[in-house]
Amino acid sequence: MVLGRLEKDDHALLALIQAGSHDAFAVLVQRHSERFYRLAYRYVQTRETAEDIVQDAFLKLWEAPGKWQPERNSKFTTWFYRIVVNLCLDWQKKKRPLTLDEKLPLVDERETPDAEMIRTQEQHVLEREIAALPERQRLALNLCFAEGLSNQEAAEVIGVRLKALQSLILRAKATLKERLKAYL
Amino acid sequence: MSNTQDQREQKLEAMLQSRRVEPVSPDLAERIVRKAQHLPQNQTVPLTQWVRGLFTEFHLPRPAYVLVSTLIFGFVVGFTIPQYTTTADDADLIPVQSFLYADEDLL
Repeated sequence: MVLGRLEKDDHALLALIQAGSHDAFAVLVQRHSERFYRLAYRYVQTRETAEDIVQDAFLKLWEAPGKWQPERNSKFTTWFYRIVVNLCLDWQKKKRPLTLDEKLPLVDERETPDAEMIRTQEQHVLEREIAALPERQRLALNLCFAEGLSNQEAAEVIGVRLKALQSLILRAKATLKERLKAYL
Repeated sequence: MSNTQDQREQKLEAMLQSRRVEPVSPDLAERIVRKAQHLPQNQTVPLTQWVRGLFTEFHLPRPAYVLVSTLIFGFVVGFTIPQYTTTADDADLIPVQSFLYADEDLL
């Protein structure tokens, strides 16, 4: 029975979850939790918070499975990305703004920088600049570059047309190129 | 100039694609599943979705669904369309005069 469920697609699992199946819920969580964790992590930058957000999202789904309406939503992951993103945005509104400078150690430029240190510094600055982008530009970048979604899928998650999404990515990249001049 | 632009573009894309993510706890999925086991579900699932879930659970051949649907349809029609049968009480109400007439003429 469990093996059979492992082979089921997301829509079939969700139908079972709506009928109260814990097994189906377990399969869905195991299949997707890591993917949604990665997205949440890009927003909140801490493992604990990202895991809490993913947990909240899945528990909301379990408690109110009727919110998933297959006739309205084309793909489970697209729909659930939106839920996770909304929870991340809620978290950001409640908490104080993210200050990466406090969290990540800066490289002491007097020391001889090795490749790893330079890379850490670059990553740190990149995350800071991405966090400073307007919300939709940041979301577009996260979905297309980090999550590897197609432009069409990312457009569906954000709720914009394909051309608008391409424009969001172009603007985000232009801003980053400008702000990261020293590293490019 | 264009070469420099291309290089910057490539470097930026490389940076975007190599962003680091702290690895997820290996027991995250398990924790979520365990928590869900103690939570009740809000059963606001529409009937159609529930039926669909049931069909997904039990893979019956299509003829079985056709047979069941036909039977249900038959029962519904059978119970909703009124029956025109005459009961013993109704028979008493038939006017006696109607037997006294034939071809609209008084016998």
